Amino acid sequence: MYPLEIIDYVIVIGYLSMMVGVGLWFAKKHTDFEDFFLAGRSLTTPILITTLISTYYGIDVLFGDTQLAFTDGVVAWFGYARPTYAFFLIAALLLAKRLRENDFRSLPDILHLYYGDKARYVGALTSFIYSLPALSLYGFGMLAEVVLGLDPIIGMLVLGGIALVYTLTGGFWAVALTDSIQFVMMCLVIAISFPFAMNFIGGFDSMVKLLPESYFDTMGDLNIFLIIIYASTGLSILVEPTFYQRIFAAKSYKNVRNALIIGIFIWGSYDWIITILAMSAKTAVIQGALPLNIAPDAALLTVAIAALPAGIVGLFIAGVLSTEMSTLDSYCLVAGGNVSYDIYRPAFKPDISDKELIKVTRYGVLLSWVLGFGMASVFQQMLGLWVFLSSILISSTLIPIILGLYFKNFRKPLAGFISSASGLFSTVVLNIYIMLKGTFDPSEETYIVHWFGIDFLQEFVMYITVPISVAGFFVGLFIDSREH
Amino acid sequence: MSYWEIFTWLTVITLGIGSIVVFMFFIKDIKHILEKFQKGKNEV
Repeated sequence: MYPLEIIDYVIVIGYLSMMVGVGLWFAKKHTDFEDFFLAGRSLTTPILITTLISTYYGIDVLFGDTQLAFTDGVVAWFGYARPTYAFFLIAALLLAKRLRENDFRSLPDILHLYYGDKARYVGALTSFIYSLPALSLYGFGMLAEVVLGLDPIIGMLVLGGIALVYTLTGGFWAVALTDSIQFVMMCLVIAISFPFAMNFIGGFDSMVKLLPESYFDTMGDLNIFLIIIYASTGLSILVEPTFYQRIFAAKSYKNVRNALIIGIFIWGSYDWIITILAMSAKTAVIQGALPLNIAPDAALLTVAIAALPAGIVGLFIAGVLSTEMSTLDSYCLVAGGNVSYDIYRPAFKPDISDKELIKVTRYGVLLSWVLGFGMASVFQQMLGLWVFLSSILISSTLIPIILGLYFKNFRKPLAGFISSASGLFSTVVLNIYIMLKGTFDPSEETYIVHWFGIDFLQEFVMYITVPISVAGFFVGLFIDSREH
Repeated sequence: MSYWEIFTWLTVITLGIGSIVVFMFFIKDIKHILEKFQKGKNEV
């Protein structure tokens, strides 16, 4: 636990109260489901920038990036963060325009239009599993334990509960509005922390002088295969359910394109500064100003609390909470929509009223939160869980969605269904197999199995499951052409 | 001042000023949105 001043607690409590207030203000102000779930498709460029950036950046990114920067240096930005911007650019210039051509409301809507009901249900299940807020709740537990000295379960219940309350009551408007406040909080505290951190370690030159040269090597000591894996995780952007939700909620394609292009500069700046802050933590450890045993994933938090004055620390913690709350609320809402709009409505009540749809979405939000809470309480290896969730999404939805968007002749029900179902099934089976039969390597922080003399990391699963999804798609096409 | 440091200060300026500018435009847009909600409430 870190020593905090009263003013810091006041700032954190004031911030949390404001978030709940926003949710309650928007409660019962929705006219229909589209208003509740997509903010009436009226998001402008500034609102899109704030909600896209704050949603996509959670504690996993904040601490994951800084962990790599603390142990390896600037490669965290060049090898891990930078490739993501290329995918954002692809999304801005190619993908978003296609997605805006129809009035989609969710990712499974696309699968339904191109491939029918079966593919929709597989997509809805995939999107729901991926959107469970287990990682966010785990992050809250860790924060509460490290910063406030509370039991992680209490931290998950209180901090995660606050995000749940305003998401349940206020819907997407509350999510977008709180995201915007959270955006400015998280960006400003990171920008402000830099001069304080430099002052703490005696200037930027100390860092250059004390850190090993490899820390300033753009590709560091990481091998090329690991860098390719890190880069390929950016593929998830192309099928990210919360990302799609924002594209559908925008006023026009132009708003999405502009928001993403402006966003790349803000994302890039944010990533670079947290990389440098983590490296300053390493410098402080070498100088003896921070303890030797500091956990790499807590490097950013440790150096910020040590370097920042009272009051600013409170803002920093509120900023970190913002980073996570903005992620948790968005994913819960998408998962709720999967339950109500993508599964319950088509399967059980096609003529459902908007009022009832909103009600079932709220039950879905609650269900996703409870399942996420259960997972966060049970799973010990969050990185493994993250890899599992990402690989499920990419393996099951990337191929049918991208091929369906760009090739009209490929829109055959069997192709979409076999591709998404085989991607989902193979990912679940392979991940479970590796976690049961493999050994956990603490240095790589992942499960490894030995296959044909090769160390096969859990992260490599996608190199098998995505080709399976591709094969499944073309098998479906082949069968369809034979039948017709 | 090294190139690394110059680059870092540029990112600090981009992030600090950029986020404030975006937030100011957001405030401008949200005013209209809140007015819309208020209007909707009055109609109800």
